[in-house]
Amino acid sequence: MAGVGHRPPGALEREVLAALAVAERPLTAAEVIEGLQTALAYTTVVTTLNRLCAKGALERSETDSRAYAYALSGPVDEIPAALTARQMSLLLDAGSDRAAALARFVAELRPEDERELARLLGSPGRRRGRSS
Amino acid sequence: MNAWALVPLLASLALALGARRLGRVLPPRTAAWTLTTASLVTALSTGYVLSLAAFTLIARFPDVARIGRWSSGVLGAGDPVPPAVGPALAAVVLALLAAAAHHAQRDVRDMLLAHSICRRLGPGTAGLIVLDDPAPDAYALTGFPGRIVVSTAMLRALPAAERRALLAHEESHLRHRHHLFVALSGLAASANPALRQCARQVRLATERWADEDAAACTDRVTTAHALARAGLATAAARESDGRTPPRQVLVAGATDADLPGRVRALVGNPLPPRRVATTVLASLVLATAVSALWAGRVTETRFERAQDLYPRAQWTATASGHR
Amino acid sequence: MRGGRGASPPRRGRGELEGEVLTVLWAADGPISAAQVQQILGTGLAHNTVQTILVRLHQKGLAVRSPQGRAHLYAPARGQAESAAGLMHDVLGDQDHQAVLQHFVGQLSPEDAATLSELLLAAPRPTSPRRRPSRR
Repeated sequence: MAGVGHRPPGALEREVLAALAVAERPLTAAEVIEGLQTALAYTTVVTTLNRLCAKGALERSETDSRAYAYALSGPVDEIPAALTARQMSLLLDAGSDRAAALARFVAELRPEDERELARLLGSPGRRRGRSS
Repeated sequence: MNAWALVPLLASLALALGARRLGRVLPPRTAAWTLTTASLVTALSTGYVLSLAAFTLIARFPDVARIGRWSSGVLGAGDPVPPAVGPALAAVVLALLAAAAHHAQRDVRDMLLAHSICRRLGPGTAGLIVLDDPAPDAYALTGFPGRIVVSTAMLRALPAAERRALLAHEESHLRHRHHLFVALSGLAASANPALRQCARQVRLATERWADEDAAACTDRVTTAHALARAGLATAAARESDGRTPPRQVLVAGATDADLPGRVRALVGNPLPPRRVATTVLASLVLATAVSALWAGRVTETRFERAQDLYPRAQWTATASGHR
Repeated sequence: MRGGRGASPPRRGRGELEGEVLTVLWAADGPISAAQVQQILGTGLAHNTVQTILVRLHQKGLAVRSPQGRAHLYAPARGQAESAAGLMHDVLGDQDHQAVLQHFVGQLSPEDAATLSELLLAAPRPTSPRRRPSRR
């Protein structure tokens, strides 16, 4: 049985992400703990799972038994981009005048990025807005 | 040539002969630190004393002595080596310097490349980037801060406890900046080929250092299993792909050379601190540095005397036919 | 909702930390010291870390400072909008802009998406938007 070794900062986040990256289906917190083969407090793992959700790496859904199940928020190759996008959204949240911030953001975009943004906004298949 | 100049040369020889044993008996962290320092100090000292020797020999040529206004007789007193060796020695020194410069330039280029890849990858999840790749691979990419890159195939190949060991191993490479140890000892070896074994031992020591950190997070047996499984998986993938492993400076892999040695080290107990060996090594390094500096002093003094005695000695030298 | 107070402090990215510190500066009534910022943030950030971030913000022109005794008092240099936009670009950095923007748009609320569409449809801007040098 694996020991309860000392973990460097960030290690649990990495382990959890790695475990979910190769999971076949969404896992509950209990399943994640079991899968990690480690003796960790339930609350610790749940906190980490929720933190990864807040960062945009994971998303959670309700299962039949009302427990939350967690999975990657998208294909594994897209997670880095999703994380950065979430950081940008949070920065937008931090200010009071969202329109002004967006205006300044757009003003400093490269032409090709402006075009891409316009294209993304115009396309009908855009996902629903962020839930907080 | 004075006796002090021999010490760095002897140190080079000692490291060439003893590095392997030192790498085996010293605990990995100590080995990495001491051997890197030793190789750097020895490389610098050897280069310095060889340059001194070359300069002194060339200075004994009559034309050069005339320009420098020093007595070639005084410079060459008691020295059996003819001045003609000077240019050859200078050529060797310059060649080694050029090799080191080339090595350094490649290292810097690789590190800049690693940094730019890190920026392109983005921050990842606490520094972890998972790539969807059917080939198992795992490495630490140097940067500020670096990244741990793992493929889904590698994650699938390992059970959870061994995954933890793998991630901890790569995190150790980043946290302790192992690529710097490898780069510096490699640079020393390019300037002084006698230090190649030393540089190799530093590479292996950084891997075993990361193994020890991984074992602290899990346990030694799990880490040994992870190492073996990951090592075999990567080696197989690279062989079938024909991919060459990235240069060590760019990337610190979990699966480099000496897999059996590392597994053996993990299955055994952690190495005890070898205080005596470490102290002796540290003293030798200090002695090498001091000798090189002292050789410089002695040479400087000799040149001063040669300059002082320039007009008089010239007559005496010509009269006695002494060159 | 941002990361909670977990068992161990998460290793947050630079952009995130700078955003948090700037938020504190915006919310403050006047110039405040590094110690006060640390107190307000309180999530186990070392004083050194807070200090470094403030210095970096100052270097980037996002914060102004005035000396007070042996330390400094910090205040946001530009309006929130400019600072937020600046940090958003920093965070975007050298990554694949298309991929990040795709996710960003996906996360936007309908109101923000409408605002953005309007902004993009507005009169054409000068062809050379200010390039942000990456300072990593």
